[in-house]
Amino acid sequence: MTFIEPISREEATERGLGPALDTFAEMGDAEAVFPRILAHAPKYAEALWGAMSEALYQGGVDHRLKELIRLQLAATAGDTYFSSLRSAEATAAGLTEGLVEAGLKGFGDDPQFTEAEKWALSYSYLMYREPEKLDAAFYDEGKQHFTEAQIMEIGGLVAIHYGMQVFMRTLQSE
Amino acid sequence: MQFHPEAIDGAFYARLREHYSDAEIVELGAFIGFNVGYHTFFRTLDFYPMFTPDGRLVSQEESRRVYGDTPGSHNREAVLRALAGETTDE
Repeated sequence: MTFIEPISREEATERGLGPALDTFAEMGDAEAVFPRILAHAPKYAEALWGAMSEALYQGGVDHRLKELIRLQLAATAGDTYFSSLRSAEATAAGLTEGLVEAGLKGFGDDPQFTEAEKWALSYSYLMYREPEKLDAAFYDEGKQHFTEAQIMEIGGLVAIHYGMQVFMRTLQSE
Repeated sequence: MQFHPEAIDGAFYARLREHYSDAEIVELGAFIGFNVGYHTFFRTLDFYPMFTPDGRLVSQEESRRVYGDTPGSHNREAVLRALAGETTDE
């Protein structure tokens, strides 16, 4: 149950959220609750879902890594809804529940992750816990693994998904 | 939402409904979430507003002097520094 009632699937589809409903169904939420709530404000919904989808599924950073980051952020936000979703594409690419668990914490010493992945996971982990640690030296280290475009891609992913997760957390009564 | 999300419960949403429609509440919530997400990210990038509070287009160095170490748009101290002409960008 959510404090804002999702609008009907038909109305959400009429408002242009059909692709979002399909994606959320693929991720494990057949009810597509979040996009149907967002569809109360259709123009916001279109823009925000477009940004969320672009950040997660497009670009030059490995999608599996971005899905790991998204799930780590959902844990940081304390959001059980987004924590329960899984990208089918990432699962097909080898993302296991063990890796998801490993990406939540203690990843710095985990040989399952490359140094680049460890940096990216640290980046998202620290962003809303200890952002003061994301200084010039931290970014310099990141540039050893990623281009500036890729770092901005990860940062944008972190910002848009965390923002919607903290919002969604407040909408859930259970 | 950022600091005490647990305080935003059913009673809180009921109060919001006294003033806003569901569409407006979703708009507000998404707007706040978006800003929570992006402003923290932007802060780590160490860049400053392009304009001073009194509307001058300035360099990053000048903007840093106006806004200080923890930039906050149009906070009182930044406004006073800009209006007092403590710094120039010439």
